[in-house]
Order: sequence, then C-alpha cells, then structure tokens
Amino acid sequence: MGTGAFEYEYGATLLKVDGVSQALGGNLILRDVNLEVKDIRRPGRVTGQVVGFLGPSGIGKTRLFRILAGLDEPDSGRVLIGEKGEPVERGRVGVVAQHYPLFQHRTVLGNLVVAGAQAGLSGREAKAKAEDFLRRFGLEACEARYPVQLSGGQKQRLAIAQQFMCSEHLLLMDEPFSGLDPLAVARVSELITEVASLHELNTIIVVTHDVSAAIEVADTLWLMGRDRDENGQIIPGARIQDTYNLIERGLAWRQGITTTPEFMELMRVILARFPTL
Amino acid sequence: MAQTTDTPRAGLAAVFQPNRVVSANTVRLLIAVQLGAALAFWWSTPFEVLPNPREVLAAIHSLWFEQGLGSELGTSLGVNLQALGLTLAISLGLSYLTVVPFFRPIAAAVAKGRFLSLVGLTFIFTLILGGGRPLKVSLLVFGMTVFFVTSMADVVGQIPKDQFDHARTLRMGEWRVVWEVVVLGTADKAFDILRQNAAIGWMMLTMVEGIARSEGGVGAMLLNESKHFRLADVFGIQIIILIVGVLQDYFIGVVKQVVCPYSHLTLERR
Repeated sequence: MGTGAFEYEYGATLLKVDGVSQALGGNLILRDVNLEVKDIRRPGRVTGQVVGFLGPSGIGKTRLFRILAGLDEPDSGRVLIGEKGEPVERGRVGVVAQHYPLFQHRTVLGNLVVAGAQAGLSGREAKAKAEDFLRRFGLEACEARYPVQLSGGQKQRLAIAQQFMCSEHLLLMDEPFSGLDPLAVARVSELITEVASLHELNTIIVVTHDVSAAIEVADTLWLMGRDRDENGQIIPGARIQDTYNLIERGLAWRQGITTTPEFMELMRVILARFPTL
Repeated sequence: MAQTTDTPRAGLAAVFQPNRVVSANTVRLLIAVQLGAALAFWWSTPFEVLPNPREVLAAIHSLWFEQGLGSELGTSLGVNLQALGLTLAISLGLSYLTVVPFFRPIAAAVAKGRFLSLVGLTFIFTLILGGGRPLKVSLLVFGMTVFFVTSMADVVGQIPKDQFDHARTLRMGEWRVVWEVVVLGTADKAFDILRQNAAIGWMMLTMVEGIARSEGGVGAMLLNESKHFRLADVFGIQIIILIVGVLQDYFIGVVKQVVCPYSHLTLERR
C-alpha cells in the first residue's frame, strides 16, 4: 500500500520496456532503456495511469515513442504490453501525434467507425461504439462534420477517441500542450485525467517539454537524458535517468498543486537537471 | 482573414483589393462587364483580317446546320471521353502503385514522356495500331497520361509520413493504408488533376484528329477550315470547343464537390 496523501497499491505490470537500444545511421540514440508502468489501484475509484515523459529536444523521445507504439523495431530489447506481457504490435497502442492526424476525407463519425471496423467490430457495433464515444468525448454535435471544421480541442478529443476505438488501454500523446495558452493547457490536462479515469487499465504516456503541465497531470515522471563519463563527456545513447513518483510526493490526483512548495521544489529540481541531460 | 462585402458600393471597391471575398452577384457583374469589354474590343479591333462576332455567329449557324458540326463534335467528344477514361485508369493505377518501389522507375519513365513530341511518335503508333479511332485514342491517352502521372505521382509522393503512421496505429495493413491514405486521401487532388488533363486533351485533340482524319471530328474540321483560311469558321469551331471544354470542366468540378465535399471547406474563396 502506498504512503502518499491517498491510499493506493500497485497491481499488474501494464507496460514493460526491457533493455531497448536503437541506433540511427551509426549513432546510438537509445541505450538500454528500461521502464515499467504498473496498474495503480485506489480503493473505490477507477484510476488510470498517467506518465509524463520529459527530456530535452533531440534526446530520443520520439524514437522511444515510435518503439512503444510498435511503429519501429528496436535494435535490441523488447516492449511488452498488457497484463499478459505480450510483445507490442502496431495498432495495440494508441498514438495521438502532435498535430492530431485524422482522415480528412471522413466525417467525425466516419473517423471513429473506420477505427472500430479495424478493431474487428461489425458495422453496427462500430457505429454504436462510435456514437457512445462521441457522447463521452462531447462531440455528438459534430458527428457529420469533417476534421477541418473542428477546433483544435475538438480535433484532439476526436484523435483520442479514434485511438481508443481501436487500441487497447495504452495511449501515447506527443506534445499535447504544445503551443497552448495556460487555459487550454488546463483543459487538456483535465481531458487526459478524464480519459485515464475511463478504465482502470487506461495508461497515458504524455511526451512533453512542459514540465509544469507534466507534473500537474501525471502520477509518474520519466526524465530522459544521456550519461556522462568521469571526464564529463557525453556517453552516446539516451536512457531514462530519473523516475519521479508523484503520488509519494503528494502531487498526484490533486487540484491546484502549482502553488504548493512540493510542486515548486520538484520544478526546480527537474529544471536544474535539464542542462545536465 | 478575408473580409466579405455587403453593400454594392463596398463590393465594387473590394474587387480591386487583394484577398477580398465578394458576393456571388458581384462576381456575376464582374463576368458580365469583362465579357462585354472583350466583345467590344473584338468588335472594334483594328485588325480587319479578324472576323467580327456577327460573322462568327453566322459561321457557327452554318457549321452546325449545314456542315454537320454537331455530329463532328459528338465524334470528338466520344474520343475525348474514351481517352480520358483510359488515361484516368492507367494514370491513377500507376501513380498509386508508386508506393511499391518496383513501380517507381516505371512511373518516372512515363512522366519523362512529356518531353516527347506526339508527331514523332505517330509513326510508331500507326504501325502498331493502324489508324482511325484507335490511333487517335492512343495518342491522346499517351499525351494526357504523361502529364497526369507527373502530377499524381507527385501528390502521392508528398503525403506526409505521419498520415501513413496514423493509419498504421489503427491496425491497418499496408494495402489498407494505401487505400485509406493514398487512394481516398488524395481523391480531391485527383479530381483537380483530371480537370487539367481533360483540358489538355481538348488542346491535343486538334493535332490528333489532324493526324488521323478518317473518322472526322472537330479537329479535322478545324484544320480543314484553317487550310482554306475561313477564319470565321475557325473562330466558330474554337468557340464551340471552348464551350464544350468549359462545360466538361464544370461537370468534373460538380462531381468533385459531391464526392469530396470536404475539399473546399477551408478555402478562402469557395
């Protein structure tokens, strides 16, 4: 049982990254990356998992993101997903890219139905599930519209809904806070929390540069960087250098944490780490 | 953001300013004024060798009711549509297949064919196909395909990687990705390219029907009238070709709007 401000316990492993390395054009990008996300259980509540994935630009976050999504194969190591620990395959992990790519030639409803059909649902089942998702994501008024007619927030919700129509419980989000004003960041954080809370096994990994937003929305933070040798020289290949448990720090599942001393302290620590990564 | 205009005065002022959206009535007025100005210029042209509009109208009347222009136009339209259909099938097929590395050099070679002259190829096509309609259709298909493949293969090649990845994350196999992203995802652009190539087809028709005259057609008729320096008839035939081409272009545009209603939603000028 956890000892944070809330009672919780860890269940099954939902994502395991085991010794993943990858080189690109002879340059080692990822070096022996090891990660684990476990189901977090809270008594009487459905609690998904939200991981904030931080690191400087060009460090290899996108490479790892693509490997986690099953879009690229690592040179060595493996990614196992779900309670059974099965090797990742593309389509089993949802991906919401930075600019929310959608099928521009399909309506909002059509975008969801095609994803449902890909998951093996019959036409009727896919339509019923799509209509349910439209209600859950507040898009029912837009079902006949095309993606170009949606606002940025609506596109983001549609992109998330589309991925959940097809994938299981793991969702990767690339820079969801990029270019947003503080109010919009708060709305997106709320949406991520809501989506995570839809199912106990839902796990959202948010790749971002926004340290503050990541601390606000996540229960765990990963900090990616490269090691240095004894002479201070960078050792090629990034790995997860630090993992921060925000539940134990009393920063998870709480509103208005940005003014707390714990939040300020963690911000300071992480921002001080960035130049060394 | 573009501004729209409400009052007639504001509408008239707006037609001389950049990035302004004007009402449909203002557009109609603009067309009427510009058409009128063009006709007035034509009527008052100092080049006496050019036929005036009245002579051209009389020529069209004679060509249509006495010389069988309608029938010749039907023949040409048939050739044009047959060639357009074949071009569409060959060009789209080849352009979509550029997703397979094996077909990329073939598509590139076909696209380079646009530097070849049809006149220079006529001999080979005649030896293979004989003459008549098959020769005309094949020359037109060649002439349009080389341009169609150039444009369409480029459209396919420009599809961003994230669109392919997006489809892949939805458990689509690679051929399903091709159908969703390449075929359906570029349908609106295929219509635009079709419009351009349909126009190229009418432009080439005269040359092709001049090469194989046995079946007639407006191209053969046009060359015949040109040879005898009957300029009013030449102008008349050109105007008829222009009207048919514009109508065909409009029809393709309407089909595009029905099939791809999303394509114009973000345009400033709809």
